[in-house]
Amino acid sequence: MSTVTHDPITLEIIQNSLQATADEMFAAMRKTAMSSIIYEVLDMGTGITDARGQLASSGAGIPGFIGVLDKSVKVLLKKFSKPGGIEPGDVFITNDPYYGGVTHLNDLVVAMPVFVDGKIIAWTANIAHNSDVGGKSPGSLSADATEIFQEGLRLPAIKMISRGEAIPGIFDIITVNSRMPDFLEGDLWAAIASVRIGAKRLAELAEKYTVATFQAAMDSFMDHGEKIALAELGKLPHGTFELTEEQDDGRFFNVKVTISADEFVIDLRDNPEQDTGPSNACYDDTLVSMQVIFKALTDPASPANEGSFRPLKVLTKEGTCFHAREPAAVGFYYEIGIRGYDLVWRCLAPHMPEKLPAGHFSSIAGTFIGGIHPDTGRQYTIIEPQIGGWGASAGRDGNSAIFSGVHGETYNCPAEISEARNGLFVDRMELNVEPGGEGKWSGGHGIRLDYRIRRDNSFLTLGYTRSRILPWSLDGANEGSANYALVMRKDGSSERYAFASGIRVDTDDVIRVITGAGGGIGNPRERDPKLVAEDIRNGFITPERAREVYGYSA
Amino acid sequence: MSTKTIRVATDVGGTFTDLVCFEMDHATGQSRITTAKSDTTPPNFEQGVLNVLEKGGVDPKTIDFLAHGTTVVINALTERKGVKVGLITTEGFRDSLEIARGNRPDFFNLHYEKPAPFVPRYLRRELPGRFNYHGEEMKPLDLSGLRDILDAFRADGVEAIAVCFLHSYANPSHEQATIAGIKRLWPEIAAVASHQITREWREYERTNTAVMSAYVQPTAERYLSRLNDGLAAKGFDGNLFIMQSNCGVDSLDSVKKIPITMVESGPASGFWGAAELGKLIGEKNVLALDIGGTTAKCSLNHDYFCGGSVTADMPATEKALKAVGEKLGVSADEVARGIVRIANNNMVNALKLVSLNRGFDPRDFTLVAFGGGGAMHAVALGVELGVKKVVIPAGAAVFSAWGMMMSDLRRDYFVTKLAELTPGSAAAIETLFGETEALALQQFNEEGVDRAKVTFLRYGKFRYQNQEHTTEVLIEGGITDARLAGIETAFHETYEREYTYRLDAPVELVGIHLVASAEVGKLKMQERPLGPASASAALKGVRSVDYALEGIHKAEIYNGEKLEPGMAFAGPAVIEDPGTTIVVHPGNHVEVDGFGNIHIHLKA
Repeated sequence: MSTVTHDPITLEIIQNSLQATADEMFAAMRKTAMSSIIYEVLDMGTGITDARGQLASSGAGIPGFIGVLDKSVKVLLKKFSKPGGIEPGDVFITNDPYYGGVTHLNDLVVAMPVFVDGKIIAWTANIAHNSDVGGKSPGSLSADATEIFQEGLRLPAIKMISRGEAIPGIFDIITVNSRMPDFLEGDLWAAIASVRIGAKRLAELAEKYTVATFQAAMDSFMDHGEKIALAELGKLPHGTFELTEEQDDGRFFNVKVTISADEFVIDLRDNPEQDTGPSNACYDDTLVSMQVIFKALTDPASPANEGSFRPLKVLTKEGTCFHAREPAAVGFYYEIGIRGYDLVWRCLAPHMPEKLPAGHFSSIAGTFIGGIHPDTGRQYTIIEPQIGGWGASAGRDGNSAIFSGVHGETYNCPAEISEARNGLFVDRMELNVEPGGEGKWSGGHGIRLDYRIRRDNSFLTLGYTRSRILPWSLDGANEGSANYALVMRKDGSSERYAFASGIRVDTDDVIRVITGAGGGIGNPRERDPKLVAEDIRNGFITPERAREVYGYSA
Repeated sequence: MSTKTIRVATDVGGTFTDLVCFEMDHATGQSRITTAKSDTTPPNFEQGVLNVLEKGGVDPKTIDFLAHGTTVVINALTERKGVKVGLITTEGFRDSLEIARGNRPDFFNLHYEKPAPFVPRYLRRELPGRFNYHGEEMKPLDLSGLRDILDAFRADGVEAIAVCFLHSYANPSHEQATIAGIKRLWPEIAAVASHQITREWREYERTNTAVMSAYVQPTAERYLSRLNDGLAAKGFDGNLFIMQSNCGVDSLDSVKKIPITMVESGPASGFWGAAELGKLIGEKNVLALDIGGTTAKCSLNHDYFCGGSVTADMPATEKALKAVGEKLGVSADEVARGIVRIANNNMVNALKLVSLNRGFDPRDFTLVAFGGGGAMHAVALGVELGVKKVVIPAGAAVFSAWGMMMSDLRRDYFVTKLAELTPGSAAAIETLFGETEALALQQFNEEGVDRAKVTFLRYGKFRYQNQEHTTEVLIEGGITDARLAGIETAFHETYEREYTYRLDAPVELVGIHLVASAEVGKLKMQERPLGPASASAALKGVRSVDYALEGIHKAEIYNGEKLEPGMAFAGPAVIEDPGTTIVVHPGNHVEVDGFGNIHIHLKA
């Protein structure tokens, strides 16, 4: 069965097998990882690129990670372009956004070339958030970092395994720089197992169907992705749309979106100077955020590849927060990413209501809690994105308690596991019923999550946006509610935070995480009284407030 | 005393209710197999069972052993046709069920709709009381509010109650006390606690499982009672066993309490049947493939144990196909070939997921294919996977029912408990197994099962320290400190086979999985001697068959019912059997064994 054939059935079979391989890489990594941010939360992604580093297929996980891996591979190809630079059995690593790492230093990208008959035919790669890569603060992220050197060990697209053998010293350098070396080493091997399993599978596939057919399949899949995207572009309203939006910190972000039959241009050039702190994104990451919203608008149903994104152009200006210049700190890049993503969504929502719901809680709401486990005496670090309320869709209330738009097939951490792993108590994990998001169709609810600390001298770091500027509504509905955290001290005092690092917390202090409701759609007075009665019965709203907001009386 | 033993299995599927009856005459040693099919009869499914017995000419009075599998539970769940459930849970956690895990599987879709919880918020109530993860009580259970909760449930028309408290996997006493309180205050209500189903951690999953069990409990209980009554009315006084998702059968009374355990009973019995068949014909490593009308499922049975299973997504296959067809504008024949190739490829990917991808080489396996559509695809799939032999069991179309008769009374016990594999820790692990075995023996004893018939399989769930997911390792015999090193080595080996590497890190036990089985009169197959007859006696004719990749060939058509032990022939051929069609490819060699199974040797 090794005749050269480009018949469409064979190409389809190869594409299905690529997807199965990316999924298998994902499963292997998940089952072997040591950090709960990887195995439980699944803050990770896997992917396959063609020989030139163009995205061919991606595994489950986070949409915000899908467009990362191809960019890393392209940097590796350029850096190791000399003959013999890339050999069979090699495995590469990068985490530095100024060297193909795209996001921030915690995210290790591991990539492996796939060789058949001495030539590269594809790459397998993955990315995952690692618990600690050094830097000035535990967990490596620090709200007061001013340059990338403070955010951990920089791995500028290097080879770590050469022809199947670990390069002496590299693993030592990586692990000695971490506060949690066992975890880092375990997670790194999980990533290596994943790219190796994927590479083996792809080599078998290309040998079976011939390299030429294998490559033709990837090309045709990408062309197909482009065709679908262009077809959808034709159906969107054409023209230029603009929005300027105030941010929690008082700055204003601007976007201009120009849609035509063959291009979707997002212009982010008119934006503030890069931040002196860590709220900056590199160009590649801004591009990824724009790819996520572009895919949601053009073809949400099928997996993404290079072709899906061909009609997209993203314009930025170097030195701004959407295109940071080295050595700007980038630890909280993801809050900038999601602000850009939400900015485009909000800009276009009034013009395409059937495609876009009202605003959601729209923050990663990254929460980092660490200290010494009171039962084991070992260091623990919670690293978790939060779930929150989504905006209403036309004709339907928004979802409660799911991950933000740039997260996806990710999972929250069960209280039972968190208590055992992290040595603290989870006193409650419930829906947040604070007012907000009421409309003819209402936004979904966020959560209220209480962590009670069991040992003195623990820490909290967090970075939430949409804490002051609330999730936006449409057509006269109420805005959603805020994302924030309270530190409720044992002595009864309490502090409110949205962006802070290294807050000391002690025994019996409670960290209360609050995420907001999504925005509503339509005048609340038009809400079906039956739905209001259900809201009251379910304890989501008091009868008094129902009267006030909806004009409801039983 | 009867000179015959009659064993019957009935399987209620979505469309048909299947019957297999094995009749063994002790005087002559002769056995007789009857199969029958009749329509499934919703909502009174038991009627279909009585109908199929009548159609098959089986008198319920004469049945010694009756095994029963049903899709009643899975259907009630997928169609959301269960009862109104009330949930009682730990203070601060009534929303766990609605929060679920927060994931968005359809992640580019901004209109994704999260599934509604099975219990609305006003029927989710809390009680004070708390354990820590060691199972130590931090706050006593306060049942003073229970009466009010139950009054409210009654007023709201609740028909079943689920109870799930935090850390009940480590200490179920609060759940037990609450169930006792419910029984005292409202004796007739159906109630189930999470620890009765599983003692594993993750509160959302445990809560949801308890809720789903409660949701189907009245339906399942009514159904099982009516089935029992209907059979009794016709004079049945043998033993009725219900097929479980874990490949075993369980007693009627036990299943009524936690009916969720039969949710996947149909596929499980087929896979178990394949493993048992493997034993019978001396095939140690079996890949099982079950293809029905709309879904395909497969499983790996390594060393006779029922492995994991996956379901190939047939609608996705068809969707992919439609796209291809539109893109191409090719002839109908080519599209049809494409259908077979893509369907096969999807199934190959699924089969690889349970074999190759877990470090097993399919070339060491025999593919056993059954279900209405299994035999059609089996050889093509076998070639793709590189297996040397494909076996189509006798009665492939009703093989799931056959599997039930090969099943033991089986219960699985999962208990989460952390332990390090350091000297001095063996005693605690041995105690945990010992206590769980004692519990199993007590349950079997209450049902009158002889202690001597009970066997145990002990699995440890291990991982490297700091990992979460575990790898199961079979532990034979008692656990002592001296044996810990050997157990650890077995873990390293299993782990490396599956994940390509091993770590020099401490290994820990996360919990145990105990399988308790009792033989309750399962079928023993009689092998017939191989005869000298030529297969030509079964030959019906010759027809052109399109083998997709191998082109069009003149194939011999055989009548499956006329094939006898010892007959042999070569492909290309087609065997037509009631309910299934077996496609034999050019170059294959076919043999019929003493049990009537068809062995297809693939060309090397």
